[in-house]
Parts: sequence; C-alpha cells; structure tokens
Amino acid sequence: MAIEAAGYHEWAGMRRSPWWGTWAIVRTGLTMVLRRWVFWVLIGLGLLNFLFNFAFIYLKATIDVQNGMLGNFLDNYQVTGTGRAYADFMFAQASITALLLAFAGSILIGGDYRHGGVVYYLSRCIERRHYIVGKLLTIAAVVTIITTLPTLFLYLEFGFLTSSLDYFLEHPRILTGILGYGAILAVVQSLLLFAIAAWVPRTVPLVMTWLGVFVLFRALAEALRAINDNRLWLLLGIWEDMQRLGRWCFGSLDSSKTPNAEQCAAVLAVLCAVCLTLILCRVRAVEVVK
Amino acid sequence: MSLLELDHVSHFYGTVCALNDVTLRIEPGTVGLIGQNGAGKSTLLKIVLGLIRPTSGRSRALGLDIRTQGMELRGRIGFMPEAEALVPGLRGVDLVALAGELCGMPRKHALRRAHEVLSHLGLEEARYRRCEEYSVGMKQRLKLAAALVHDPELLLLDEPTAGLDPDGREAMLGLLQSLAGRHGKSLLLSTHLLGDVDRVCEQVMIVHRGVVRGAGRIGDLRAQYRGRYRLNWRGDGAPFLNQLRDNGVRVQADGHADSAFVETPPDWSVRRFFELSSRCDMTLREVAPQEEDLEELYHRVIGPT
Repeated sequence: MAIEAAGYHEWAGMRRSPWWGTWAIVRTGLTMVLRRWVFWVLIGLGLLNFLFNFAFIYLKATIDVQNGMLGNFLDNYQVTGTGRAYADFMFAQASITALLLAFAGSILIGGDYRHGGVVYYLSRCIERRHYIVGKLLTIAAVVTIITTLPTLFLYLEFGFLTSSLDYFLEHPRILTGILGYGAILAVVQSLLLFAIAAWVPRTVPLVMTWLGVFVLFRALAEALRAINDNRLWLLLGIWEDMQRLGRWCFGSLDSSKTPNAEQCAAVLAVLCAVCLTLILCRVRAVEVVK
Repeated sequence: MSLLELDHVSHFYGTVCALNDVTLRIEPGTVGLIGQNGAGKSTLLKIVLGLIRPTSGRSRALGLDIRTQGMELRGRIGFMPEAEALVPGLRGVDLVALAGELCGMPRKHALRRAHEVLSHLGLEEARYRRCEEYSVGMKQRLKLAAALVHDPELLLLDEPTAGLDPDGREAMLGLLQSLAGRHGKSLLLSTHLLGDVDRVCEQVMIVHRGVVRGAGRIGDLRAQYRGRYRLNWRGDGAPFLNQLRDNGVRVQADGHADSAFVETPPDWSVRRFFELSSRCDMTLREVAPQEEDLEELYHRVIGPT
C-alpha cells in the first residue's frame, strides 16, 4: 500500500452527461463478447455466409458482363439482388445471432446478477434508465453487426456492380426491408434476452430458456394449430412472427394468409412490453446495498 | 458544510419501519456506522447514496438535497459495497476505468486515472488480470480503486475488511487512515467490527432498531460517561462496598478481595469515595478512572437488549 510514496492526485476535470456512461457500457459489452474465441466460431460462420453471398454477387456481375444470356438465366432464379434473397440472408444471419446471444446473455446480463455487476453500475452517476438502455444497445449492436450491416453491404455491392445506379431507385423497398427487419430483430431479441438473462442468469438454464422460447413455442404453435385448425395459433411462434414481419418490410409477405403482419406486430409489441416490465422489476436500485 | 444532515427522516418498507424519525448532523471526517443486522444501516447507506427516497423527512449530503440531486451526489461519493460487485471478464484496469466513465469522466482521463489509482493501491502488477482471478484481498482493493477513481469527497465503505486476513486488514485500515488523514477524504464506514471503527474513525453513529441512538465524536460520547472507576483498598472492604451500594453506586467484582470496578451516578464526586472509606475505617489506596472502549460505549448507548 504505497499510497504515500506514489502520491494520490486529485482529479478536477469536467464531468460528462450520464449518456456517455451508456456508451461506455455498450463498448465494454461488445469488447467482452469479441474477446472470447468461442463467439468467434459463430461470428466466423456468419462471416462465411456473408463472404459466400459477396462472392456470388461479384461472380454474377462478372457473368453479366461476359455472358449476358447466362446472366439473364441466373436472374430467373432470383438468387440475389431481390428482397426475398436479402430476407433469406438476414434470416440465416439472425439464426446465427440467436445462437450467439444464447451464450453471450450470461456474460452481458447474467453476470451482473450473479457477481453484483448491477451494484457496480447503479452506484455510479447513472440512473436505472442509462443502465438498461446501455445493455439493450449492446445486444442490439451485436444483432446489427451480424445481420443488418452485412446485408446493407451486400445491397450496396449489388447496386454498385450493376451497369447503372438505377437499382437503388427501382428497389427502395429493399432498403426499407433491410432496415425494418434489422430493427425488428434488434429490438425484440435485445428485450427478450435482457428479460430472460436478468431472471435466469446462469449459462445453461439461460441457453435452454432462450432456445426453448423459439423452438418450443413454435412446436406448441404448430400443435395447437393442428388440433384447433386455426392458423392464429401460429402467432405463438415468436421467431416466425419476426420472420413474417420482416418479409412484410420487404414487401414479400402474402397478405391473404393468416397470421398477417398486423397480428404479428401486435404479438411482438405485447411481448416487448412484457419483457420491459420484467426488466424494470429486476433492475431495482434499492438492491444495490444488500 | 455538513457531511450529512437528516431532518426527521423515516423510511418504511411496507409496514416495516427501517428508520424512525432520525434527526442528526454529521461533520466531515471519518464516521463509523455501527449497529446490529437489520438495525437500519443499509437503509441509511441507500438514502445517502440517493438510491431510495425516505418516506418522510428531509436529507442532505455534502450540501446536496438527496431527494432531488441523487445522481449529482453519486458523482461526489465513492461506494465500496460489501458484495462482490465486479464485472467478470473485465481486466482490473478496464473495470476501474469503466467506473470512472460511469461517473462522467472522459475515457482518456478515466484510463489514466485507473492506472494511477491501481498503482497507488498496490495493484500495478495485477491490473491486466481479469477481476475474477483476483484474491479476496485484491478484490477489496480493486473495489476501493473503483470507488476512488473519480476522486470523490466522501467514501461509503460497506464492510471494507470483510474476508481479509490480519495483514490484509491492517493494510486496508492503514490505507483508509491515509486517505482520510493525508488526502482529506471523508469516510462513512459501515461495519460490525468495532475495532475497525476504533482504529479509523473520529465520529460514530450507532443505529439500533431504526433509531440513531448516538452520533458524534467518539471522545464526546465517551465524555458523557465518566463514572467508571477501579478502586483498590486495604482492610475489610465489605462495609465500604455496602455504603457505596446504599449511595446508588453499581459495584462489580473484579475477582480480587481488595479491589472492584464501580459505576457512579451522574452527580457523583470522587471525594465521596474517600469520605465513605474514612467512615468505614479503611484505607482507599487507588481510585483509577476507567476508559470506556467502543464495545462498552456501544452497549451502553443501545442499552439492554
């Protein structure tokens, strides 16, 4: 304890807004995820999918230039450049993200409850809302980095590799779709993961609960639909609700089929409200001093 | 400016009264907060941190209204909790720097200051290790570093020596004394270990069943009670002790036939010992005032339980 020898200096700088603290929480959370090699396996899987699509778009552009007929032939299959292709890509990326979040949840959120991290955060110059927003943004950032950003990159690549920039003007719905589906995935998954990890902080139970919400609910929805012959039961499948709403953003959802986009949106809105309530109940400043 | 001012503060958890009409004023310095489990210490700490609003009453800390300026107040307070309160996966230096950023420090300042504070606390070798790899004593110092990084005026310390070995405890107490003595920090030390309070604090706040039974300088509280003596005599002491009892003096045997501890009533004069001894025809050899230790002070203040 050489405090006298080393000298203790006073600090008299200007303090910044507590929202800077939120940014610090986001940055720290991302660092914690990216520091673990096990997550890089899943991130690598997403990167592989992205590189495959990236290379295919480049290949198709090359074929278009060198052999127009073959290019037109490939266009018939709409393997890339269409709203449906981007939605499929995002769906694949979102599946990888969901798997990553299942394991990252205990580090980003669960650890705060198991090791007193909530005490650490809430005893500083931030309010409960700054902490909650910081954690939600961290999860949303992970989702966005793996799903939305690569899709946007592919969209730009495809547009710039066509003969003119008309692609962007002719397909504005694709951009809306990418951003809309990305926002749905980010908002729903961040709220859902925070709520689950706050109440089930340990890794194994958290992974089981997180995957159970998507897998079991889907199986339950299918079973109830088969028993009651009512397609509205399909709304219980949260993962599919997000997918349907995403396709609606891209303009590729069949509106004549039940459940429709409005019904899916209503279910997801209720789910988000429930998650937010659970989060607010769990993040209570009075538990800081035990 | 007072460190803490409470004016008729009460706090209820449902129907359970945690603090009951507390009014006090604590001056800057080192303050020990002592009391049994459930006495209301934690509630008091929560109120000082601005994390809960008292059910009734007014409260100020460091001149700020706790009810309306809680966040600003936490910027001037460093809190070292008893719970682990760490973020697993983070390196020591990152944890302390993050604490600084959460207190409003710019990133560069927070990082620089984290290195400084960790070096000051003797953790320079371990600062790049993940905090879950630290020993108990190192974790305590790491929590103290996180509480100190933004240079607070007041440190709230909840059981700072819990789980430390004797050497670690000695070092921690030395460090706290140094922070208070050389660097002018005010400390509010909540602990069950009265020895820690005796060693570090000038003032004490004794909480019992939601009521602050005594608060002020330890010396002043001791001065309220100067009626304890050890008497030593030659000859038969039995009549003398009977005379003392008849005059309202509490006599406590010390295991010897020629001496005893006595507690006198408030208006007692030492001269009366000699008057009574001459009346009983015996020689009083020694009247030694007894210093009250903190444990005795605590038990006297809270009364019989």
